[in-house]
Amino acid sequence: MRQRVTRRHVFGRIGVAIAGLLTTAAARSVKAAVQKVFVSASAPKDYDATRHKWLMCIDINRCIGCGLCAEACKKENHVPEGPCFRTWIERYIIPKPKPGSGQTRGEALVDSPNGGMHGFPESPVAKEEIEQSFFVPKLCNLCHHSPCTQVCPVGATFDAPDGAVLIDPKYCIGCGFCIQACPYGCRFLNPLTKTAEKCTLCYHRITRGLKPACVEVCPTQARIFGDLKNPAQDDPLRKFYETNRVQVLKPHLGTEPRVLYAGMDKEVR
Amino acid sequence: MPPQILRLVLLTVAIVGSYLVARYFLTPSSFGEYGWYRANALGELSSYKRVYAGAKACDECHDEQYQQVAKDGHKTLSCEACHGPGQAHADNPDINKMTILTYSHCVRCHEANPSRPKWHKQINTKTHYTGQKCTECHVPHQPAEVP
Repeated sequence: MRQRVTRRHVFGRIGVAIAGLLTTAAARSVKAAVQKVFVSASAPKDYDATRHKWLMCIDINRCIGCGLCAEACKKENHVPEGPCFRTWIERYIIPKPKPGSGQTRGEALVDSPNGGMHGFPESPVAKEEIEQSFFVPKLCNLCHHSPCTQVCPVGATFDAPDGAVLIDPKYCIGCGFCIQACPYGCRFLNPLTKTAEKCTLCYHRITRGLKPACVEVCPTQARIFGDLKNPAQDDPLRKFYETNRVQVLKPHLGTEPRVLYAGMDKEVR
Repeated sequence: MPPQILRLVLLTVAIVGSYLVARYFLTPSSFGEYGWYRANALGELSSYKRVYAGAKACDECHDEQYQQVAKDGHKTLSCEACHGPGQAHADNPDINKMTILTYSHCVRCHEANPSRPKWHKQINTKTHYTGQKCTECHVPHQPAEVP
């Protein structure tokens, strides 16, 4: 015959359950405390995210398409091989219009073989036929109203107070909504970790007073990186602002990017 | 109180209570500190190890070359642009060596390409000099000098 369930029995069970919950709570707070010590030991203590506002400017007239930025980004952030790029270079070739077509210019050709990491093959258009040609480095546009963070179902991607749009790799479930939402194609799914990834502005570098890897290696200073809240006296950002007219990519989307382009052609999207 | 109402109240309390308990245990401790995300992620993302050391680290030991480059045409170049990532070398200079420049490093930037801006000095590698030894005529740290 089955044992009768007594009141004492039930209360005992409830007591055990509460005790169990309390122990897990204690374990959790211990874990959090340990984590805090560990994280603050490795993360810079003097960095306050609310006191910075990062910004990237790109001078298209200075980009020579060497691909050092794309290569450095892969190395610095351990981005896997293959078509995964946090930053890349696009080559635009605008041919001369066909005679008698009445157009001002031909249709633009855009390519980015292997993200421009290893240079570009010879132009498919003969040199005499080219009206204009230039390189455009691309990266996360650091949108003020970022479409990618709005669609994340788990709160894994967010606009940090310092302007960087970041992904919490521990919380990302790899659903790929943000990859579809980004109008600039700046996100990808890491084939190894199966989480979404993107440019973090080299968050581990900028929080320690270093420049992002792509800015560090750019040989022509086509990339200018700065802090809007702490402009230095001889800040390259200030000089850049004074001497250039800037534009953002896809302004009609209202994303308000904080990556500004100088010398941009209307063909660039 | 009628028993059916009491049961309803108990059921509501149980449902809301279990939701609150689950929420308490499942929400990360730093969630909501800055916004709808885990604030600790910022610290975790900034704790990654770097690969590129930055030009200031090079200046600590190689100040002579650092100043040499700063004087001439290659002054906008960071050391690591040509010599490769240097954090490993900065940590352990005896074991990890930097890249020594070869022909491919020079032509990466200076090979003629119609897409490159006109102000940038470019050469046609088929006609300029086919010996592939750029340093015979050019000093990489001081491109204006003649060796």
